[in-house]
Amino acid sequence: MKLTDIHSFLVHPAKHADSQPTISGTSVPRKGSLFGMLDKLFERAPMECDVQIVFSPDDQGQQNNPSRDSLESYAREPSVPRGRIVAERLQQVTTHRSGLGLLFLLKGIGSQGHHSLVVSRFPADQGVVAQENAGSLSVEFLERVFMKNAKAYKSAYYTTSSLRAGFTDGKAVDRQLSGPRDLSEYWIGEFLMSELRTTGPAGTRRLAEALRTAVKTAKDPGIKQELISAASLMRNQSGKTRSATAIIKRLGLSDQAAEAITDAYARPELMSESFRFEADEFERHALYRAVELDTGALLLAEDARFDDVFHTELLVAERKVRYTTEGKIVDQRFRKTK
Amino acid sequence: MNQGEIGAYAERYGELVAVASNLEILLAKYLARVPHIDRISARAKDPERFANKAKKLLTSGVDKYDAPLQQIQDQIGARIIVFYKDDVEKVATIVDRYFRYVERRDLVPESEWEFGYFGRHWILALPDDVIPPSVNQSQIPRFFELQVKTLFQHAWSEANHDLGYKATKKLNSDQRRRFAFTAAQAWGADRVFEELRHELS
Repeated sequence: MKLTDIHSFLVHPAKHADSQPTISGTSVPRKGSLFGMLDKLFERAPMECDVQIVFSPDDQGQQNNPSRDSLESYAREPSVPRGRIVAERLQQVTTHRSGLGLLFLLKGIGSQGHHSLVVSRFPADQGVVAQENAGSLSVEFLERVFMKNAKAYKSAYYTTSSLRAGFTDGKAVDRQLSGPRDLSEYWIGEFLMSELRTTGPAGTRRLAEALRTAVKTAKDPGIKQELISAASLMRNQSGKTRSATAIIKRLGLSDQAAEAITDAYARPELMSESFRFEADEFERHALYRAVELDTGALLLAEDARFDDVFHTELLVAERKVRYTTEGKIVDQRFRKTK
Repeated sequence: MNQGEIGAYAERYGELVAVASNLEILLAKYLARVPHIDRISARAKDPERFANKAKKLLTSGVDKYDAPLQQIQDQIGARIIVFYKDDVEKVATIVDRYFRYVERRDLVPESEWEFGYFGRHWILALPDDVIPPSVNQSQIPRFFELQVKTLFQHAWSEANHDLGYKATKKLNSDQRRRFAFTAAQAWGADRVFEELRHELS
């Protein structure tokens, strides 16, 4: 990858502001330590930006998108005036909660000779600079330090074989994607005017079905039970935007259980696609019903098929219930109780 | 002339056929509980048709497509045919739920005094689920086109495509009027069936 053009802009918080502050911008020379840092950022962007996004259509459902227009315009002719249009769009959606930020636009040639554009925002922070001088130490407070903050860093990566054809979709990273709505919507939704490529219901259903398949195919009863327990815990992910890999990691599933889910996906890459988890959708497709009787019997089946698998008879006089089922034994193991 | 991309398309055509087949299965799964679906189909664009489209020129004489493999969004196309007009909405709800669209529009004639093609079209992000594990993702288009039509809309558009669109001679005024007449009849049939359905259910 070869980084050819770098521009930087100081973006103030000015969402809903009566007048927009003037944005200062500059071209960054392709030498020195700042260039070295940005060159690495440009090179790592295809891997670091792991959330697939697509540009949203306009109100009429057409493929018109002002954010894409401004990014394509800059990519075709990188310059301070064209970059400033991108920065102005960012400033107009930046709240005081997000605060002051430094925007970098990095244009270059990526893999396969394709044009690549990386858009990164470094939030402002405070810091102290310490310098050793002939055995003495001087410290100085800095009010405007811009850092690739681990908690608030945001970036986006676009690539195309033809600048005339433009960008069709891209990838992003947003460390606040699962945060409060105003923060999670800020970068991808409001600034990039994009949405996650995978809808919440599609991603949730994909995970639910993979989990269901994993439960069915798991040979080890311990793993089977672990996966069923995971199904109950996953409901707590409702409203969170994460990948299946991230969800599994948070639940602390064993390697075997995680592998069983991964194997049930059509492609392993799907495990890393981010989506907004929807509990209702999940329950429709992965719910297991477990009934425990006072006799010690434990009945377990997919919720959707439970009433087909077990015939239920209410014994009203005895205030009991009788379950009956028949089938071939496919597995029978002893397991220690906890 | 985009010759390189036309050749590349022909080479990957077999993979697109496999993707289209998986897409058909995925659509059928999502729509399994929706009644009144006559058929669900998906296809990869025939290489010859892709080539013809890729070679199109603008009125200025410049190539319409600079990077046809990226710009032509109906390399994979799917179609869902439903019985009644109301069913289009039911299918649309499911489509919007499970697919991310970058374009959605109702195709209707420009004026209320005209009759012609009717249908709902989407350009949707192609879900990676439908790409076989053996296929390189980067060789597969990022989007596909979906059309949802009633049986009558579909019947009219197929006959119109076969007789009108492919006609070797320019249609005269009477022929155009007769095509419009059949479109009006299809529109009327949809309308009457919709009314009957509401009255009888």
